[in-house]
Amino acid sequence: MTSLDHLLLVSALTLALMLLFGRTRIAGRLAVALYGVQFLLLMQTGALLGEPVASSLTVSVLDLPMHWRYDALSWFFAMITIGAGFFCAWYAAGVWQERYREQGHSPRLFHVALAANVLTMLILLGSGDLLSLFIGWELVSWASFLLMAVGGGPAGRAALRYLVYAFSGGMAILAGLMLIYTQTGSLEYTRVLTLFGELSDARVWTLLLLIGGGFAVKMGLLPFHLWQAAAYAETPGPGSSFLGAISARMGLYALILLLVAMVGIGRLTAMEVPFTFLSARDLIAWIAALTVIIPTYIALQQHDARYLLAWHGIGQGGYMLLGLMVGNAVGSAGGLFHVFTYGITQAALLMAVFAVVYRTGTADLNKLGGLVARMPLTFLVLLFGIISLAGLPPMAGFVSKWMVYRSLVAEGMPLLFVAAVVGTLGTILSVYKLIHNIFLGQLRIEHEQVREAPLSMLLPMLGLSTLIFLVGLMPGPALSWVAAVQTSLGLPPVPYTLGGIEDPRGGLDMLWLVGILMAGFGVGALIFFGLGGKSKRVHQLDNYAGGHFLTADVRYQYSDNFYAGLMHLIGPWYRGAFLWLEKALTATVAFISAVTNGLYRYAQPALFVLATAVALLALTTA
Amino acid sequence: MTELIKTPRAGETLPVTAGKRTNPLANVFDELVRFAQSRSLFMLHYCTGCGAIELPPAMTSRFDMERLGIQPMVSPRQADILLVTGYVSVKTLKRVILTYEQMGSPKYVIGICSCTVNGGMYWQSYATAKKLNDYMPVDIYIAGCMPRPEAVIAGLRELMENIRQGKADSWKDYYRHYDHYLGHQQRLFGETWQTPTDVISEARHYGLFGPDTLGTHTALLEQHQKPLEALEMKVDIPELTARR
Repeated sequence: MTSLDHLLLVSALTLALMLLFGRTRIAGRLAVALYGVQFLLLMQTGALLGEPVASSLTVSVLDLPMHWRYDALSWFFAMITIGAGFFCAWYAAGVWQERYREQGHSPRLFHVALAANVLTMLILLGSGDLLSLFIGWELVSWASFLLMAVGGGPAGRAALRYLVYAFSGGMAILAGLMLIYTQTGSLEYTRVLTLFGELSDARVWTLLLLIGGGFAVKMGLLPFHLWQAAAYAETPGPGSSFLGAISARMGLYALILLLVAMVGIGRLTAMEVPFTFLSARDLIAWIAALTVIIPTYIALQQHDARYLLAWHGIGQGGYMLLGLMVGNAVGSAGGLFHVFTYGITQAALLMAVFAVVYRTGTADLNKLGGLVARMPLTFLVLLFGIISLAGLPPMAGFVSKWMVYRSLVAEGMPLLFVAAVVGTLGTILSVYKLIHNIFLGQLRIEHEQVREAPLSMLLPMLGLSTLIFLVGLMPGPALSWVAAVQTSLGLPPVPYTLGGIEDPRGGLDMLWLVGILMAGFGVGALIFFGLGGKSKRVHQLDNYAGGHFLTADVRYQYSDNFYAGLMHLIGPWYRGAFLWLEKALTATVAFISAVTNGLYRYAQPALFVLATAVALLALTTA
Repeated sequence: MTELIKTPRAGETLPVTAGKRTNPLANVFDELVRFAQSRSLFMLHYCTGCGAIELPPAMTSRFDMERLGIQPMVSPRQADILLVTGYVSVKTLKRVILTYEQMGSPKYVIGICSCTVNGGMYWQSYATAKKLNDYMPVDIYIAGCMPRPEAVIAGLRELMENIRQGKADSWKDYYRHYDHYLGHQQRLFGETWQTPTDVISEARHYGLFGPDTLGTHTALLEQHQKPLEALEMKVDIPELTARR
């Protein structure tokens, strides 16, 4: 029994206990405790800094051995996974679970789905060869389907759509694995690594498209992003937080294995895209950049807070891949670090939004407003979250995004830098819409009596917010994990300090930065209060509306068609080209299936089966 | 209260009323603050009548108001100057008063065109308020039908000079003699007239509460007033409040 066995066994035990006791009131607290134990066990594996930890479990299928081990990369992703599970289970453990039960849903199913997700992700992250990777991949797909579908209704439809994507992606990966197997006769990482060194460019392209395309589906990389927003947004509260924080990152984990560990950034740079001036690395970087921009601007148009954040989740994934594709110490560290900073940010943001949903019953941005007066702490959580999501100091998201930007500038990729900044602009605009339409402006009459989120939901939210700020203030400890991951991947490690990174070409020290920022606020406060400044609160109807007298029945907070001027400029770009593509594909498949159906079912089925059998026999004997 | 005779026209000066502080350092500081205030004025133009047409030339490249530090502003909370550019009908006047009360102090009112001075060519109209300074204290009148941009600029420079010298403090008059202004407003709009702004508590807030702030008209206001309490921010966590 190795320490990895303990971790996986406790994770499986969590699933079993949730199956048994999921109905009881203590299920939530039990889950929190078990995720806590898993976290401690993960810490004890020592996979981050030491040698990779292997599991004693090995299974052989068709003479292909499967084994599991944890290295620094697995540890890093597993840490975020278990952490997300811990906070989301905490959020669900108290009154949320009771309300969920009262609404006619099954908390047991929810807890089981969450535990299954954590377990399967841990299995996937531990995969030691391509076969166990594929099996872990499929397990994760089905577990996320379970979590997405527990809500029923629109959630069920979104989950089915996801399933089609995940299934197609899985089949593509399987085809790629078969190609590798026919070449090497083994799916061990070491053999595959040498294989990639020997293969011609055309074959590597094929494998990249098949396997990489399959992995990209889960990450929501363009053009496979259409399923993700609805599937994540419709999942019940904490489940949505969990999926948003980490689930799509499993795709990134697998892509890192493929692109960085197996093929290598150097090979990608050397591979030309035929008939263009682009290398494979440029191509992937540009796909990542478009993944940043397009979903972010779709998020700008959303009227539902959950969907707005879910669309951002797709966009932020682009930053991670973009940073990794730069491939230098700071860039790849920024990409990896963004997995962590974005994970805590998105979890906190979705929790805050679902706390509002818990209290008001809606996430519709046109039906909220002014809630800062009633839910100030939830407001604070959302404020910290959006500052981090938009990549502004002093929060965690700033550090990782700054590293990505800096590497793009320093490595001479100005156009990608502009693309990243354009994405950030869209993020800033849409998160402003989010906080304005929910918390600022006019409080609706129907929300006069709304109370602050319950303590059991508030504490994990505040905990995550504190984490966001602390990681922003002192990114050093978290960057040390990233540096270990980089070393294990063979990338140059980032030169980190407690406050940020140290680099002769321009480093970052968040301790100074935050200090100066706070000193600026302090000077402002000193001037205001020192000169006897007094503030005065006014009634919310004592507001300027072009000289009109406002009354309670007149709404002055305009949240519909929020960026009318901007939409006038960029509105025509929203044409749903990808939706059109998806529909065209669906129609083609439906047509082919109808034709096949017609052939074998209506036109002499017996003859058809006979003809097929004869043809097959002829093929196999010949 | 400002009477029309006391309101300066462009080119005239008002007797200095602002008391100098005895501490010379404080005096220097006041001078500095007043200088800064006079050089950064945000203007909300309430364009009611024909005078508005003289503002675009005054603002744009030919006369270029901005070289004096004067810029348009979209909301009263951030504006320093309320520019009323023509006749004010009774209906409009309500809005002008609402807007004026929403402005933060120190605030200045400029009446442009003869209509704001005495009703002008609408003097016989039943629907027009004749003298703007019956309803709110006016700092500068720029008379004319309409005044040319040069006159507008001259008026604004006069206001700047008054601010710099500490003479443009008629906004204080609104708080000190609120009863007087409210009386005129009630005469026009009826007894139930009320704006969302609580002027009396603002007068206390600024330390400008005087013997003439309250009177018969404010007593009438109190009878009809519907209170508008500011929205309170509540941290009401159910578990914690229940335990108390």
